[in-house]
Amino acid sequence: MKQETNNEMDLLLRRLGRRDDAAVPEEHLDADELNAYAENAVPAAARARYTLHLAECSRCRSLVAQLSSSAGVVAATDSRAVPEPSGFRKFLASLFTPMVLRYAAPALGLILVAAIGFVVLRRNQPDRFVAQNTETASQQKPVASPAALTDSYADSVTAPSPERLDEERKQKNEPAQPAPPPNMPPSVTSVDAEVSKDKAVAQPKPEEQPASAANEPAPVKTAPAATPEQSPRAAETEAAKNEVRVQSADASQKEKKLRDEEREDRKKDSDNFARARKPADSVSAPATGAARGIQSGGTDLSANTRTVAGRRFRKQGSIWVDTAYDSSKDAVTLSRGSEQYRALVADEPPIKTIADQLEGEIIVVWKGHTYRIR
Amino acid sequence: MNTGIAQIVNDGAGRMLARASDNRSLGREAMVPRVTAAVEKYLLKDNPGTPHAEIAKFIDEMQADDLCLIIACERGDERAWNDLVERFTATVRSAARSASKNEDAAEDLAQSIWAELYGLRTRKDGMPASKLAYYSGRGSLAGWLRAVVAQLAVDVFRKQSRLVQTEEDTDLERLARVAEGQPIVAGIPSPEESLSNRFTQTDMQQALNQSVQELSAEDRLLVKLYYFDDLRLREAGAVLGVHEATASRRLARIQTDLRKRVTKILVDERGWTQAETERSFAEVAQHLDTDLESLLATKGTKSV
Repeated sequence: MKQETNNEMDLLLRRLGRRDDAAVPEEHLDADELNAYAENAVPAAARARYTLHLAECSRCRSLVAQLSSSAGVVAATDSRAVPEPSGFRKFLASLFTPMVLRYAAPALGLILVAAIGFVVLRRNQPDRFVAQNTETASQQKPVASPAALTDSYADSVTAPSPERLDEERKQKNEPAQPAPPPNMPPSVTSVDAEVSKDKAVAQPKPEEQPASAANEPAPVKTAPAATPEQSPRAAETEAAKNEVRVQSADASQKEKKLRDEEREDRKKDSDNFARARKPADSVSAPATGAARGIQSGGTDLSANTRTVAGRRFRKQGSIWVDTAYDSSKDAVTLSRGSEQYRALVADEPPIKTIADQLEGEIIVVWKGHTYRIR
Repeated sequence: MNTGIAQIVNDGAGRMLARASDNRSLGREAMVPRVTAAVEKYLLKDNPGTPHAEIAKFIDEMQADDLCLIIACERGDERAWNDLVERFTATVRSAARSASKNEDAAEDLAQSIWAELYGLRTRKDGMPASKLAYYSGRGSLAGWLRAVVAQLAVDVFRKQSRLVQTEEDTDLERLARVAEGQPIVAGIPSPEESLSNRFTQTDMQQALNQSVQELSAEDRLLVKLYYFDDLRLREAGAVLGVHEATASRRLARIQTDLRKRVTKILVDERGWTQAETERSFAEVAQHLDTDLESLLATKGTKSV
């Protein structure tokens, strides 16, 4: 019943509205009042006054209606004028958006895992390096005769003789050079190159080596036995040696004799050592990859490892490498006798001790720095 | 304005300058006249004894940035003008487009607005007669610009409508004649019935008209917005600042209230019985229904 009566009133009011011809007032609300009313920004008393006017004035009413409908748009525009949060706060807020949490967090986790894996692999690189050496040694194993083993042992415990150096150069097809540049960039690849050179030296059969050495013009040696300082210097003074070689053939003959004797002695020593070593080979290998590599190569662990001035060194090819050496770290390359070397040993006398006791090339880690001494 | 209020306005102007993100290097002396005008217009005119705290609150709710921008524009600040044009060109164009029939008219209207704002005419004191002087800072500047555009559009439309009379006007006149007792050919009532209906309708119409006038201003505004201006409840509610559901409930209450008022007028002033009043409501409503249907049918035929 109530709904019906309201419907009747509804129709009556619609009709009234259609014939509303009430006079429009002369005075109208100004734009500021219309807008303030539409935005509900007018104090109560003023609002009542304006409402009274609007109830009578169709013109102002239509304008207010129009403005009210767009007030939402205006409000949305004004909200942009509100000072935005600082960039840092915005950044923090953006980190915790659902989209970021959904996709970026797992991605970050993956990156972390990858980074950790990378670091772990990098740390294991020196071992890998040693393993590479081991692989070479194991490859040699089937063809290596006891003599070869002995020879390799002999090579490892003594500095390479001048003939050996010449032979190496020949095999590498390298011209005789006084010394590598002191500032040669040290890197893993350079060490690898050294190792590969060493491999190349190790590959010829031991029987061939003396023959080839014999065919060589006999170089003159000032001392019969190679001292630790001599091997790098031999390269430096190659030109001078050649001159001496030409001038004193007699001396070279004597030198050859001495060398042959020396080789004989070494051979005897190494034979003895190999015989003594044989039972030890059956003992289980140490856990480290380096030791495994050395053992599989048939070489002596104790002979390839020395401790000097509190540092432990492992022979890798012709290089004594500090066991603490990390191939990922840069090394400073120095030549014995160079100004840099003298300055270093003046500051760090133990390095001189190491360099004196270990012949050939050395990679030593000292106080966090890596030095490659040639 | 007494000294106490002047002090409140002065302090309020200072606070406005302080909270504006860009106060355009204005001083209090530039702000105080505008703030004073707004306080007088919206507060003191209706209630000269407005408490000081209410005045301070009113000032603190004003649009500081917009008012600073407008005052700076009035003072010829080029940067302020550039900001005004840059920020509000889209608003003005949008308002002009919604108030115009086509794009050309909208463009003309928008250009007229900028000319009005800049003040091409000069006042007696030699200053440009810019509409910017009428912005109080109470509402948003964007809303004020929309209102300016809408007012100008209405003025332009009224000028044009004096020359052209639309078909809709003719239809409305026809309906008005029906209400005044000149029935159109809708149904074929007998002469007696027609005469009776005419009197009934006239009494009912007058009683309803009187009842509507007796409503409160807000209720009357709602009735006008909904029945006279054909707004939807949501739109009418927006004007009144209430939700659509509230407007709907209020309208239902008004209808009930109006029915009671009309009945009372018919019984007390016109000598109708309660039963006659009830029957007449039903008959008039039915009759009006028929009238509206015929009107719609006539409109439809014309438009084909």
